[in-house]
Amino acid sequence: MLQLNNVDVCYGSFKAISDISMSVESGELVVLLGANGAGKSSLFNAISGLIRPSAGQIEFEGQRLSGLKPSGIVSAGVVQCAEGRKLFPQMSVMQNLMMGAYVHRRDKAGNRRHLEEVFELFPILREKSDELASALSGGQQQMVAIGRALMSRPRLLMLDEPSLGLAPLVVRQMFDTIQQINSLGTTVLLAEQNAYAALKIASRAYVMEGGQLVMEGDRETMLNNDEVRKAYIGA
Amino acid sequence: MNILLQNLINGLTLGSIYSLVALGLTLVYGILHIPNFAHGALYMVGAFMTYFFMVDLGAHYWIAMLGSGAVVAALGVLCERLVFHPLRHSPPIHDKIAAIGILLFLEALVQMLWGADFRRMSSPFTGVMNIQGLIIPEQRALIIAGAAVLVVGLQLFLRRTMTGSTILAMAQNREGAFLVGIDANRVAMMTFAISGMLAAFAATLYAPINLVYPAMGHLVIMKAFVIIIIGGMGSIPGAVIGGMIIGFTEALGGFYLSNDYKDVIAFALLVVILSIRPQGLFTKGAH
Repeated sequence: MLQLNNVDVCYGSFKAISDISMSVESGELVVLLGANGAGKSSLFNAISGLIRPSAGQIEFEGQRLSGLKPSGIVSAGVVQCAEGRKLFPQMSVMQNLMMGAYVHRRDKAGNRRHLEEVFELFPILREKSDELASALSGGQQQMVAIGRALMSRPRLLMLDEPSLGLAPLVVRQMFDTIQQINSLGTTVLLAEQNAYAALKIASRAYVMEGGQLVMEGDRETMLNNDEVRKAYIGA
Repeated sequence: MNILLQNLINGLTLGSIYSLVALGLTLVYGILHIPNFAHGALYMVGAFMTYFFMVDLGAHYWIAMLGSGAVVAALGVLCERLVFHPLRHSPPIHDKIAAIGILLFLEALVQMLWGADFRRMSSPFTGVMNIQGLIIPEQRALIIAGAAVLVVGLQLFLRRTMTGSTILAMAQNREGAFLVGIDANRVAMMTFAISGMLAAFAATLYAPINLVYPAMGHLVIMKAFVIIIIGGMGSIPGAVIGGMIIGFTEALGGFYLSNDYKDVIAFALLVVILSIRPQGLFTKGAH
């Protein structure tokens, strides 16, 4: 579904990502592990078209993404829910969700249906739909961010550290929800530092270090791998 | 009592014009994060275009206003495409220099085409309304009503339509806007078009009780900057209320203190407000 071939990303003379090749198959939940600064967000932003890779190709369902504008990539079905949520703070929860449907703005009936699905996934958002996004708690803001991304009707949903800054209980709910989204048919690429929780719901995982992929494998292999345990799970 | 009311009407008139100009300025600031120094020149071109349509082509005041709005909107889009868009990756100082460049260019161009003379533009609304002793010239009433319609219309467009909301979204979180698939170029062009149109409408409304000349934008844009600084850079309610504050202060101060110092009052108010609330009156987390 998503295929990256030898992708490099540079900020000036600094190479944030070098020679990354990876793939995500339809229906999978793939986890991208890596510490702060490993290049996970840079990789996501390159896929989303926010930064231009300096080398390599990114393809989604056979279509080249490199060269498309961010809006074109969202229309193609690749949607990112970014680290830090990137909500519209002075808009209500409802308005934030509806902005997610921007590329599908002509399909009003479809948007209402998707909005219902988002509210079923996050019932609390229905109650808070008239409140300003900035007035919500961190966990609720993260729900709005994921809900907004779902309103863009992703076929591949990229989640960048959705557990960041959330209370442990909320983190568990968040991972349950992500698993649920995946089981409903959306392919998920999840960047995380919270390795144990992420691996538990993953089909496969990649490990990133210093801008490079250093390891890949399925869930069992990763959970039992000594280096992964030492570096990310702490056991 | 009547004199006070009379002055309040004058303040409302001034405030309406200032609000319209400041709204355009604050919208562009919200998107580009640059102060568009050329906005005063767009205002001035708006007045000249209306003058051109009315006097040289003989169009009706309303037609001239619409024509001028369209021309200045196109001019705004042209500035964005030719000047600000190519500079989007440059340091902010480049945009500021470029904006001053556009200002000087447009002023010189207008002076070349029409000369530096002061011109009088007459509108068809020369009558005077007398409401129980309160004298309101029709043109002033038109300014107040016209500005109110434009402000409400703009609010509805920004808050109720998806297209308008993209401007707010882009101002509130640029990356978030990209991630939902909003096209930055479209929003930038649309914002400049609206900003230019508001400037042209403001100039067309105000010119009949003022004069039309190449330097007419200077004082207006200075005050518009004072307004958006007072109101909070990028804040839409801030631009409207800031405009009214300056308008009323100027009208009342000009009458009760001294007419010679009425332009100083706006700047004195800026100093006072900024020393109490340095972030502006309406700044929220977004900016």
